[in-house]
Amino acid sequence: MFNKRILTIIKRELQTKLLSRTFIIMTLLVPLFLFGIIGMQTFFVGIEGDAGTSLKVFTEDNSINTMLEKAFNESDAVKNDKYKIDVETVSAAELDKILEFFKNDLLNNKISGIIFIPNNALTDKSVQYYSKYPNNYTILYKIRNSINTVLIDKYFEGKSFSEEEISFARKNVDYKGFRVSKEEAIEEEGFGNQVLAYLFTFLLYFSLLFTGTTAMRAAVEEKTSRIVEVLLSSINAKELMTGKILGNTITALIQMFIWLIPVMLLISTTWFVLPKELSIGINSFHIIYFLLNYCFGLLTFLGLFIMVGSIFDNEQDAQSGLFPIMLLIMVPFFMAFSLRNNPDNTLGLISSMAPFSSIIVMPARMTLTDIPLWQFGIAVAVNISVVLLIFALAGKIYRVGILSTGKKPSWKEVIKWLKFNY
Amino acid sequence: MFALEVKNLSKSFDKIKAVDDVSFNVPEGSVFGLIGRNGAGKTTTIRMMMNIYSPDSGEVTLRGVKVGQEFKDRVGYLPEERGLYKKMKVIDTLLFFAELKGISGRAVAKKAKEYLNRFDLWDRRKSKIEDLSKGNQQKIQFIATILHDPEFIILDEPFSGLDPINTNLLKEIILEKKKEGKVIIFSTHLMDFAEKMCDHIAMIDQGKIILSGSMSELKLKYAQKNVSLNYEGDISFLNNHPIVNKVSDFGNTTGIELKESSQTKELLKLLVENNVNIKRFDANEISLHEIFVKLAGGEDKMEFKKESANV
Repeated sequence: MFNKRILTIIKRELQTKLLSRTFIIMTLLVPLFLFGIIGMQTFFVGIEGDAGTSLKVFTEDNSINTMLEKAFNESDAVKNDKYKIDVETVSAAELDKILEFFKNDLLNNKISGIIFIPNNALTDKSVQYYSKYPNNYTILYKIRNSINTVLIDKYFEGKSFSEEEISFARKNVDYKGFRVSKEEAIEEEGFGNQVLAYLFTFLLYFSLLFTGTTAMRAAVEEKTSRIVEVLLSSINAKELMTGKILGNTITALIQMFIWLIPVMLLISTTWFVLPKELSIGINSFHIIYFLLNYCFGLLTFLGLFIMVGSIFDNEQDAQSGLFPIMLLIMVPFFMAFSLRNNPDNTLGLISSMAPFSSIIVMPARMTLTDIPLWQFGIAVAVNISVVLLIFALAGKIYRVGILSTGKKPSWKEVIKWLKFNY
Repeated sequence: MFALEVKNLSKSFDKIKAVDDVSFNVPEGSVFGLIGRNGAGKTTTIRMMMNIYSPDSGEVTLRGVKVGQEFKDRVGYLPEERGLYKKMKVIDTLLFFAELKGISGRAVAKKAKEYLNRFDLWDRRKSKIEDLSKGNQQKIQFIATILHDPEFIILDEPFSGLDPINTNLLKEIILEKKKEGKVIIFSTHLMDFAEKMCDHIAMIDQGKIILSGSMSELKLKYAQKNVSLNYEGDISFLNNHPIVNKVSDFGNTTGIELKESSQTKELLKLLVENNVNIKRFDANEISLHEIFVKLAGGEDKMEFKKESANV
């Protein structure tokens, strides 16, 4: 099946693709784009709009004022976000007057809020917050610890507890996630793998669609420019299609390999040190599987896209004919996202080994959970069978389609082509 | 010994029979014309000869062996609807097509240079195809067809859409290749062209071969009863005359078919007696067009444009 003519077609594909401006730009731009998206998200979440918040804290018992001021001054709220916090003392009876006095400032946002710490707070930690937006948790969350610390210190003052005991009491419960896997060490799990799962899913979705549509467009162009008949006088349709698919697959694999270099360097060298929350729990096996899986994905979807391109003789019709194939990429794309919470649910398990969806779901799933070897085995076997099936099917349709012109064929006619003796 | 034998080819698309039991032989060293009107089945026949379509039945043999990939490597094919990669450079295009035929290396690059020089395109070798004029693109397409020095050159409607300069150029190439002993097969609906270039023909109509053989024999066979006439005056008296079978007006000339070949003298006498001013009287000439009309049906069925190929 493989011969010099196929090699010639592949060579041309590589020559025109690898050296093309599109290839170079895409190879450079996609990582920028991905980092841009991740960076932008972090940036938007980072905008809390609370910088320079001004608060007034009133205490009923002035003995904690100094402690409060000290605690606030040491807090991130004041240090990083430039909060302005004044601490004064008023009696409970005077509070209404104070509120009345500051009402306009509160409504005009000159002051973000007033916190009143009554005496009984020293025993029940219940404080009052007056504001135009009393539900702004960003502010409350940021100063909560400072107040808590002071109240605890005050509570334990004069009681015979060691500093150690008090600091324990101050502490909140802290969850740390650990990934349990077959490997000996149980590792602390950060966001790293989730980010990687997103990255893999995005890369696959995006590059399969992009490579596919480009190849489809090329097939339509070859058909409309009639160059295909010249080609077919030298090479048969199946060889031509195989050459096209392999040429595009090699190009796309090279591109993906370049994109993955940073990830490979991360897991195999110590050149970059990621913060613990971002550490990545995959190894070179996963990278190899990812590339192999991408290769299957390309062979499968390029076959389908080129087949669609051969059926229609203009791009608009071809775009509309793409819809069923787009679904085969899009539905698994959303499935992969739903894995986040529980990568081992039934949907995840089945879709990571089912035809078509395996290509997008398995890479995401393997970064989130430990996958037994047999599941990889099934996925590979399924993918190979799909590729063989697609080649047989697409080859038949391509053969008829690439030479048919004129009226846009219906799907019924296309199915008839399968039986044609061309 | 025939170079190519086409035996009982049939091909249907859905329910339409495009080619119906077609057989003909292409002798070694000949210029062979496959002649018929548009939609007669020429392109389908050629595609089956090229193994682009596989026939429903029948076969094509190359010196006794069924055609396959080996034949493709030895053929230069110029399809009716031509195409090149628009973004590819001229020289890359030529080398790519040669490589598809299994020929690469310095020899073919040298040959490409020769052809490009001959066609005044050497300085455009680094240009993209889309930057060339249409006429120059056609030249590139010819070069791509013959660069690998094929034994067989198959041209499907080679003169459609060609400008006069390229028409002459292609004619020159055909004659040159003929001298080299190559087999040239072309399809056309232009009778004049076929008549001047071919030494063997097959006529196809509605998917069936209606005539095939060597041009001189065919002419001899059909010419004797036919007189080609240029005149001034009235010849309507011939319409129901006992010696005349049919009078056909071909525009430039009038064809008169006699009942017997021995009646030409009688016809000449009749014309003189009726005061017809004779410009030309040719008793040994019949045009392919006339043969075709005779075989394929009346003038009313003809879709032929009275185009005259510039050959």
